[in-house]
Amino acid sequence: MDSPFLEIRGVTKLFSKVVANRNVSFSVGKGEVVALLGENGAGKSTIMKILYGLYRADFGKILINGKEQRIESPKDAMALGISMIQQAFSLVSAHSVAENIVLGTVKGLLNRRAYERKIRNLAVQYGFNVDPAAIVRDLPVGVQQKVEILKALFQNASLLIMDEPTAVLTPQEAANLMDFVRRYAAAGNSVIFITHKLKEVMDCADRIIIMRSGEVRGILPRAGTDEKELSLLMIGHELPPLPDVSAGALQAREMLRLQGVSVRDRHGVFRLRDVSFSIQEGEILGIAGVSGNGQQELCEVVCGSRPLASGRIWLDGRDIGSLGIRERIELGIGYVPADRQRDGMVMEMTLAENMILKSSYSSKWQKRPFLDRSRIRHYATSCIEAYSIRTPGPDAVVRGLSGGNQQKVIVAREVDNGTRLIVFDQPTRGLDLGAIDYVHKTILEERGRGKCVLLVSTELSEIFALSDRVGVLYKGVLQGIVPKGELTMETIGLQMAGYSTSGR
Amino acid sequence: MSPRFRDMLLSIAVAVVLGLGASAALLLFLGRSPVTAYALLAASVIRDGYTFADIFVKATPLILTGLAFALTYKANLFNIGAQGQFYMGAIAATAASLVLGNRLPGPLSLVIVFVAAVAAGGLWGSFVGFVKAKFGANEFLVSMMSTYVALAAMNYLLRTALMETKHEYPQTNPFAPGLWLPIFLRGTRLHAGFILAVLIALLIWLLLFRTAFGYRIRVVGHNSDAARLAGIDSRGITVTTFFLAGALAATAGFTETNGVQHMLVQGFNPNIGAEGIGIAILANANPVGVIFASILIGALKVGGTIMGQTSGVPASIIEIMEGFVMIFVILSYFIRSGLEIRRSKKELRRAQAL
Amino acid sequence: MTDLLARALMMSTPLLFGSIAEVFAERSGVMVCAVEGIFLLGALGGFVGDYESHSLAVGIVLAVLVGAIYAAFYGWITVYLKQHQIVTGTAFNLLATGLSAFFMRAVFGVPVVPLTVEPLKALPVPLLSRTPVLGAILFNQNILTYSMYFIVPAAWFVLYRTSIGLTIRSTGENPEAAEVAGIRVERIRFSMVLLAGAMGGIAGAFYSIGYLGMFTTNIIGGRGWIAFAICFLGNWNPLGALAGTLIFGVAEAVAISMQSSGSLLLPNELFIALPYILTIALTILRRSFNVPGKLGIPYRKEN
Repeated sequence: MDSPFLEIRGVTKLFSKVVANRNVSFSVGKGEVVALLGENGAGKSTIMKILYGLYRADFGKILINGKEQRIESPKDAMALGISMIQQAFSLVSAHSVAENIVLGTVKGLLNRRAYERKIRNLAVQYGFNVDPAAIVRDLPVGVQQKVEILKALFQNASLLIMDEPTAVLTPQEAANLMDFVRRYAAAGNSVIFITHKLKEVMDCADRIIIMRSGEVRGILPRAGTDEKELSLLMIGHELPPLPDVSAGALQAREMLRLQGVSVRDRHGVFRLRDVSFSIQEGEILGIAGVSGNGQQELCEVVCGSRPLASGRIWLDGRDIGSLGIRERIELGIGYVPADRQRDGMVMEMTLAENMILKSSYSSKWQKRPFLDRSRIRHYATSCIEAYSIRTPGPDAVVRGLSGGNQQKVIVAREVDNGTRLIVFDQPTRGLDLGAIDYVHKTILEERGRGKCVLLVSTELSEIFALSDRVGVLYKGVLQGIVPKGELTMETIGLQMAGYSTSGR
Repeated sequence: MSPRFRDMLLSIAVAVVLGLGASAALLLFLGRSPVTAYALLAASVIRDGYTFADIFVKATPLILTGLAFALTYKANLFNIGAQGQFYMGAIAATAASLVLGNRLPGPLSLVIVFVAAVAAGGLWGSFVGFVKAKFGANEFLVSMMSTYVALAAMNYLLRTALMETKHEYPQTNPFAPGLWLPIFLRGTRLHAGFILAVLIALLIWLLLFRTAFGYRIRVVGHNSDAARLAGIDSRGITVTTFFLAGALAATAGFTETNGVQHMLVQGFNPNIGAEGIGIAILANANPVGVIFASILIGALKVGGTIMGQTSGVPASIIEIMEGFVMIFVILSYFIRSGLEIRRSKKELRRAQAL
Repeated sequence: MTDLLARALMMSTPLLFGSIAEVFAERSGVMVCAVEGIFLLGALGGFVGDYESHSLAVGIVLAVLVGAIYAAFYGWITVYLKQHQIVTGTAFNLLATGLSAFFMRAVFGVPVVPLTVEPLKALPVPLLSRTPVLGAILFNQNILTYSMYFIVPAAWFVLYRTSIGLTIRSTGENPEAAEVAGIRVERIRFSMVLLAGAMGGIAGAFYSIGYLGMFTTNIIGGRGWIAFAICFLGNWNPLGALAGTLIFGVAEAVAISMQSSGSLLLPNELFIALPYILTIALTILRRSFNVPGKLGIPYRKEN
């Protein structure tokens, strides 16, 4: 029996604060599709980055066709036929498709026409519709991913690693991708894809490797297992039942209203088109949809960081369309942003300092002419207790906190600031289960207090669990709002692909 | 003392020693013994009260130009124009001093002159802040170029409107004695400007770390995206910090003309802006640290000058020492962060018993 | 008038060398903030080399070596040790002012009369230099200026039509993408800094041995920074850099002729300040930059 194409043996990787991989071992054969399954923080991306030469393992070996290899850079990996497509695409957005594909592979003069021809042929062969001369930043996300794949194919990759490939695709595009994976594997190549979505795994993989907390917890052939067993291995215990969202007494008062809201980006392209909806006090409106369809812009226009191209916004009966961010904060809009490290906090500052980020202009923290530091610390301490934030204290620098605890800091702050409306954008992305649970409980609690909540998320299970009504954004257009009772996966899936249903 | 703070002091001390060592090695090119030269430096600095006090005289403008860079640096802005703001302050102080003469009582005149300097430097600096805030112009380039413009203006004025009555050299008449900053240590050159500089440094510290405005400056400096979403007006902060920075550098101009030279001379303190940047680096942009860093560099300057006078070591050794010390401090940042990472990894490995 | 333009072209030469070097470095993502110091040490190296050996070529070679070595240290600290580029640059510039005065003293002592060398002579191109107007301007220049005619199109070609140019541009736009494509980001950036050092050294030497024929410690007077600014204003494009340097060359030539003609209408200092005022104005006007995506940000991989 000859050796598998790839074998990883006993790889361990330490970062300065965490053991990312511990004694990881598995193998992948030719023509095999392997799924690397695990929740956030399990160590899946790390081991793949080691395989691709972006990280160096502290212990362990990698063997290709039975021979040990030293992979110290992506160049070495590519020479062995290994190619990787990361979650955040490795594309130079200012350059053209062709320039991106040939980057690092060709020498000497750039023969544009020859490359474009070759790329076109390759694209046709796999059924992709890509123009080699197009500039990457103008392309939709699904097409950008195809560019990444073409890049791997151009270099005759025989092992393709894909990190969460369907995160940015509609269900149709995801199905297309899986088709491609099957065809590619049938041609004798291998695929490893990293995911946390059980459904994809069951659709496509030949074998499944489950990781948890940096270790391999199970290697199973797809045929012999089911979703329940997989999720047990992935999480370590049974999935807790979804919290019971009994609709509390709905106040009739409308708190947030958008009417005909359109928003444009820098290049004049519409990111939101004629969006209208309203949310009442004590209600959660969930906005679903694949990333990149206007969700971010919707949050931004409500919070004031993006200007209206047309339309109006009312908060508690007041037209806020022309108000700036600071005024909207003062009116009681809280915002938990998707990119928490960039938009939600200052990593180099302490927990206490981050707590007053949105209220530094307010007189409540002043003891003229200075800041009332004892008051701020007292507030921070009470939030630490109330939210069970694991930290040495209010003077700890937030960079040292884990992702979940950082998010708790932000949630604590925004929930206090958001006296009328709280906007949550991907609130549980990258968090472990315990933190996810906490955030969900908090959202429901705030709703119980009569606050108005706008929840934007790409995780359908989250949307289903928490929302009273659900809308889907597709290419900036709201496809229709459906009350929870009438919701099915099928309608959502169709809406996400752009088929709108009636009823707003 | 927390271990991180101790590490920082230690690494700065090592950096200073290494910087001086590298400069010392260069002396070999001149056929001089570094050891004797440095022994002389150390001895000369403490040899008498006058020389020792001179350290603080030299430190005074450094504190202020150091603050001029450090304050904007906290907002992630780069004020390379402190030299030009210094000149503008000096010009304004000189003009006001020459106009006032003996007309008003001393203390009142000094206050007026001070205000004139601060206004001139502040406006000159806020021009940079303004074009950055309004047009997004690169403040690094604009502030740098503004220095050369200020220099040209100063040279022009020294040749014309401000020129001494003798019309012999490009310098002004000496100021009336009432406009000299009082010396508070008899027998030395140490003037009230030093006290002023130290007080200002403490005020800037309070501003940055104890007020809401200073808090906002630091937020903008660390993370402009989060600052924007927090409703913080970063444009206002840009203009205000550049105004303050210009005012600080201009105060240095004031202390030099009214405290030391008692006139305006062409080509004086030609590096005070760049040296201020070095001070800010040494002090890690901390206003209190700036005081100590300035005293250190002041000592180097005094010693360097004496070395030049007595043993013929060229004055350029001072700039060499400053340059090397700055470079070694930069290297120490790298080493410290590397050590910290290695330390955490080792702790982790031990904890996991791997 | 033709004299003025000819002189403008000549004065553009060092600015062109400096700004094209800066374009390549910044396209790869590194701001060479030590540019003023590199120019200064290049001027010194050129002068010492020429004076000691009575050969211009030796002077140029020494200038290149000195510039490249100084830049290598800067590159090591900013690219490999990932320290702050503006702060490091300031340290290097300050050190250079000290080093240049110091080594002038060490090599030559304190001369009674300032030491001089023959500045670069003009080498008229046979036939072409006789053509009216253009001949006098373009073909009656010194060898460094002639090399500009080759350097600009070569730089443009390399940057946009070769694989190495694509690599350099990608490294500055998105170093992570370049790394993933197998490019050694740090190596590319470091080599661009070395190039900047070499060309900056030549640029500095132009002032001492090409034009003035002597060395003084304030010979550069901020022109390294003007070359730096031209890179910005020229939109990180060799052709833009050419346009920028010509504008400044004209400004400088005008300033010189105004000063020497003793014009009493406007003060000398105004002409001296002209290039800097011009830079400020252009920096303000040039609003939409094509800044390389990750310029100035050190590239960090794992921790």
